[in-house]
Amino acid sequence: MPARWFASIAAALMASSAAAAPTPPPAAAPQDDGNWAMPAKNYASTRFSELTEITSDNVAKLQVAATFSTGALRGHEAAPIVFGDTMYVVTPFPNRVFALDLTKPGLPAKWSYDPKPVPAAQGIACCDVVNRGAQYYDGAIYFATLDGQAIALDAATGAERWRVKLGDINKGETITMAPLVVKGKVLVGNSGGEYGVRGWLTALDAKTGAQVWRAYSTGPDKDVLIGPKFAPFYPAEKGQDLGVKTWPPEAWRIGGGTMWGWISFDPELNLIYHGTANPGPWNPEQRPGDNKWTGGIFARDADTGEARWFYQSVPHDLFDHDAINELVLLDAQIDGKPRKVLVRPERNGFLYVIDRTSGEVLSADAYSHVNSTLGIDLKSGRPIHNPEKEPKLGQVVRDICPTAPGAKDWNPSAYSPQTGLLYIPHINLCMNWESLEANYIAGTPYVGANTVSFAGPGGNRGEFLAWDIVQRKPAWSVKEDLPLWSGALATAGNLVFYGTLDGVFKALDARTGELKWQFKTGSGIVGQPISYRGPDGRQYIAILSGVGGWMGAIVSGELDARDPTAALGVANAVKDLPQRTTKGGMLYVFALPR
Amino acid sequence: MHSIGEAMGVHAQHIDALWHAMLWVCGIMYVLVLGFLGLAILRRGRRRDEREVVHAQDERGLSMTLVAWTGLIVAGLFGLTLFSYFTDRALVQAASQPQINLKITGYQWWWQVEYVDPDPSRSVKTANEIHLPVGAQVSATLASQDVIHSFWVPNLHGKQDLIPGRDNDIRLQPTQAGTYLGICAEFCGLQHSKMHLDVIVESQEAYNAWYERQLQSAPPPTEPLAQRGQQVFMSSACNMCHAISGTDASASVGPDLSHVASRRSLAAGALPNDADSLFAWISNPQAIKPGSRMPIVPLSEHDLEALTAYLRTLQ
Amino acid sequence: MRRATGYGRRATVRSRSLLPVAVATVVALAACHRENRHFTAPPGTELSPPQQSMSGLVAGGESVEFRKQQGKEYEGNAYHMGEGKRLFQWFNCSGCHANGGGGSGPALMDDRWIYGGEIDEIYLTIVQGRPNGMPAFGGKIPSQQIWQLAAYVRSMGGHGPKSARPGRDDHMQRDSEQGRRDQPINPAAPPSSTD
Repeated sequence: MPARWFASIAAALMASSAAAAPTPPPAAAPQDDGNWAMPAKNYASTRFSELTEITSDNVAKLQVAATFSTGALRGHEAAPIVFGDTMYVVTPFPNRVFALDLTKPGLPAKWSYDPKPVPAAQGIACCDVVNRGAQYYDGAIYFATLDGQAIALDAATGAERWRVKLGDINKGETITMAPLVVKGKVLVGNSGGEYGVRGWLTALDAKTGAQVWRAYSTGPDKDVLIGPKFAPFYPAEKGQDLGVKTWPPEAWRIGGGTMWGWISFDPELNLIYHGTANPGPWNPEQRPGDNKWTGGIFARDADTGEARWFYQSVPHDLFDHDAINELVLLDAQIDGKPRKVLVRPERNGFLYVIDRTSGEVLSADAYSHVNSTLGIDLKSGRPIHNPEKEPKLGQVVRDICPTAPGAKDWNPSAYSPQTGLLYIPHINLCMNWESLEANYIAGTPYVGANTVSFAGPGGNRGEFLAWDIVQRKPAWSVKEDLPLWSGALATAGNLVFYGTLDGVFKALDARTGELKWQFKTGSGIVGQPISYRGPDGRQYIAILSGVGGWMGAIVSGELDARDPTAALGVANAVKDLPQRTTKGGMLYVFALPR
Repeated sequence: MHSIGEAMGVHAQHIDALWHAMLWVCGIMYVLVLGFLGLAILRRGRRRDEREVVHAQDERGLSMTLVAWTGLIVAGLFGLTLFSYFTDRALVQAASQPQINLKITGYQWWWQVEYVDPDPSRSVKTANEIHLPVGAQVSATLASQDVIHSFWVPNLHGKQDLIPGRDNDIRLQPTQAGTYLGICAEFCGLQHSKMHLDVIVESQEAYNAWYERQLQSAPPPTEPLAQRGQQVFMSSACNMCHAISGTDASASVGPDLSHVASRRSLAAGALPNDADSLFAWISNPQAIKPGSRMPIVPLSEHDLEALTAYLRTLQ
Repeated sequence: MRRATGYGRRATVRSRSLLPVAVATVVALAACHRENRHFTAPPGTELSPPQQSMSGLVAGGESVEFRKQQGKEYEGNAYHMGEGKRLFQWFNCSGCHANGGGGSGPALMDDRWIYGGEIDEIYLTIVQGRPNGMPAFGGKIPSQQIWQLAAYVRSMGGHGPKSARPGRDDHMQRDSEQGRRDQPINPAAPPSSTD
C-alpha cells in the first residue's frame, strides 16, 4: 500500500516537474520518426531521441552490433546520418561519403563517393582536417569539403547532383561545418578565422546549387544583409555600417567572423539562428573597436537571409571565444511568463538564455570556472572584463580561464524535455597568453599570440555537466580527467551518451548521472553520438571513433608537446594523450542483444 | 628644416629656459672663480719677496668675502634647484589635455606612427613621419617591437625611451609651424644613426587635409608602367612585409606604404624622397642601410622601374 | 740596479708569453666565421641545390658538397641563425608549426621529416611548397632569407653546431630550452611528456 502511494506521489511530482520543464517548439522538433536526418536531430537542435527500447535499466547489456572502418585517420567529428534504411558517414579529409545498408548485417556500403578535395587544403585547417557531417533532405545528401566545396548527392545512388566551389584556399578559406538545409536552401558557412578570412554564411538552392543569398559577417550593412527590418535589442548593436566603423580601416576585410558552427531554425517565426566566430587576428590590440559582427548570434529571415537581430557575446573578443556553438530552441516559463528562448552554453563560460524573438538576454550564468569575465551586464548585454586578464602586447598574462577553446567548444550539448536538463560536455582548462604582432600574409595564419593551456581548478580537464535550465544551476556533473570534445546524446530511455578523448563511450542515467554502461572504442571519441530505429524496428546507438580535432591534434597531427605552444597551446594540456590513444577511424553501432 | 637648437614647442621652451638659467648661473660662477684664481696668482706674484703680513682688516675683508662667496653659491644652487623643480612641474602640466593621441612603435630601424582615434575606423597608420597642427596638445604612447630605442625631437621635447614590453608616454605641444628632425637617441643596433623621423607642424587646415588624405586609399594606378608595378608588388616579396590600403597587401612588419610618395624622406631619413632614391633603395637596400630588415629582392630592371613608378603614385 | 737574468730565464719568459697569445689567436679566428655578417648573399648561395630530392633517394649517387657548404655558411653563423629566428615569426611559420611543436603543420623539433631534414631539403620544401598543405614561398621570400630559415628549422631539431644558435629571448617560455635540442631525437623512444 505505502509503496504504491509512494510511487504515485513520485509520479505526480515528476509529472509536475516535467510540466515545468522547457519544451522545444513542436514545429522545430517534430515527433521522432526514428531517423536522424541532420546532426542536431531537428531544427531545434535538441539532439534528443524519443526511442525508449534502450533504458537506464537495460543499457548495461548494450553491445556492439556492427563496426565500419572509414579508412581515414584524422579527427572524426561528424554525426552519422540515418534516413530510412541507410546510414551516411562523412569522413575527415579526404571527405569520403559512405552510404551503409542498415538492412544487411555488418552494414556493407551501398555506395561511396570521393569528392577528391585539393590536398593543399590541409595546410590551412587550423584545428585538424575534420568534417562535422552531412544532412539528408528530400532524397539528397548535402555536405561540404575541406577545400570549400558544397556538394549534393543523390541519397539512393550516390550520384553527384551538383557541386559548387564556395571558398578559396589561397585566402585561407576551408569548410568543416555540417550544412543545414532549411526550406529548400542549403546553408553553408566558411572556416578560417585564424587565417584572416572574411566570414560568411551562404544559402544555395537545394535543387541546383545556385546561390540564393550570402551574408558576410563584417563590412558594410548591405554585405551583412542588414536592412530596414534589423531591430537589435541592445543599443551597442544599433547604428549604420557598424561592420566597418568598429574596425580600424580595412581590417574588416581580413576580420574573421566565420560561420563554422551550428544553425537552428524556428519554422513558426521563420528565423534561422547562427553564430559568428572570432575576429582576426587573435591579438586584440591590432583591431581596436567592437569588431562587429564577429563573436555574436544572428537571427535571420529564413528566406532572404536578412538580419532581424544580433547579440554580440564577445564584443572586441580577447580570447578567441568564437560564438558558433549550438543554439537549443525552447519554449520556457521565465519569471512566470511563457517565453520563446534559445539556450546556448557559450565558449566564454556563460550559459545564455536569450529571447529568440528579440535578442534580449534573459540570463547568463557561469557554468564553468571563469575569471576573465566578471559577469554579464544584463542592461547593456555586454560582458564585464577583468582588466587583469586582458592580453597585452609583449607581456605574458597568466591563468586566464577559460582557455582559448573556451569552457565548451563546438561539441554540442543535448537537451532532454523529460528531465529539463541540458547535458553539456565541456572543458576545464586555463591558459597563459602572450600577444605578438600578427603579420597578414594571405594563405598563412593570422594569429599573433602564443598560448599555453593547462588544467583548470580542480585538476579535472573535462566535465560532463547536467544543467537545470529552470533552476539555472547544475543538477549533477561528472568530472573527467581529459577534456571532453565529443557531442552529447539524450534519449527518452533516461539515458545520456558521450565519449571521452581516449575512446571510452559512456551511458549515464539522465536524472542522476550514474554511469550505467561504457565501452572502450579503438581510438579517442570526438564525434557526435546518434540514436535511430533500424529497419528491424530496434533501437541503435551509433558513434564515430577516431581522435583528432583541435583537442586531439597532438595525436592526429603527431605533434611534439615539448613545445607547449604547439596546437595553439592545447598540446600542453593533453600531453599524455599519445600514451592513451592512437589514431583511428571506426564507426561503432550498438544495440541490445536480441 | 629648423636647427635643432631652437625651441619650437612648449616643453622645449621650458627646458630651454632652464638650460639658459644654468648657463648664466654657472657661467657667472665660472668667471668669478677664474677671476679669483687669477687674482690669487697675481697677488702671490707681487708679494713673493715681501714677508706675508696679515692685517686685521685683511682678515675681516677675507672672511666677509668668503661669507659672501658661500652665500652666492648657496643662492645659486638653491635657485637652480627651484628653477629645475618648477621646470619639471611645467613639463608635466603642459599638454595635459591631449587632443591628438599617437602610438609610436620603434622597430629596428624605423618608426611606426599611429593616430589613435576613439572611432577606430578613423585611425591612421604611417611611418617615419608625424604631422601635427600648430598648438595642438599631443600625447604619444611609446612602445618597442624589439630593442630599446629613444624618441627625441629636440625642437619639441627631451628624450623618452621606447622599451619592449612596456608602454611609455611623452607629451608634445608644438608652438610654431615648421619641419623638425627627430632621431633615435638610444643605441639600437647597426643602423641606429639612420633612424630619423620628420615632424611636420602645420596649420590646422593643412593638418586636417593631410589627415583626410591619409584615411583614403591612394587611387588605383592608371599608367601601364605603374599598373605593372602594382602587379610586381603583389606577386613578389613586397606584400609579405608591407601594406598598401585599398589593395590586398595588409602585412605589418614593415612600414606602411599607403602614402609613401607623400613623405618627406625615405628609409627613416636615410634618403630624400625622389624617384632615383626610391629606385636605389628598392634595388639594393643593403648598400644604403646595411643590416636593415629589408632584403635584396631579385627583380629585373624593368620590374624595378615599374615598382618605383607605382610607389610614386601613392600620394 | 740591474737584475740578474740568466739566458734560460729570458727564454722561459718568452715562451710563457707566447702560449696565451697563441690560444687567443686560435679562439679569435674560430669565432670569426660565426660572427661574420653577410647582408648580401655571396653569389654562390643564390643557386638552388643541384639535386632536388625530397626523400634522399638520388639516382646515380648524391653529391653532398653543396649541402655541406650551405650548412657551414648558415648553421655556423650567428647572424644568419638570428635572422632565421626572426623570419620564422614574421612569415607566420610559427602559425602552423608553433615554436617547433607543430599545430596544423607537423612538428619541426622531432626527427620525423616527411620531405627530408637536410638543410637543402628544407630549403626546397620552403621554396616549392608541398602537396599536403605547405605553401610555396619561392618568389615571395629571397633565397638568402630562406636559407636562414632552413638553418633555424634545423636547429629546432638539435642539428648543426650549438655555438651559433640564438639565445633565449624575453618571450613566453616555449620549452625547457627555447625549442633547441642538444641532440637529435632517438626515433625509437616515444615522445616523453616530461622534459
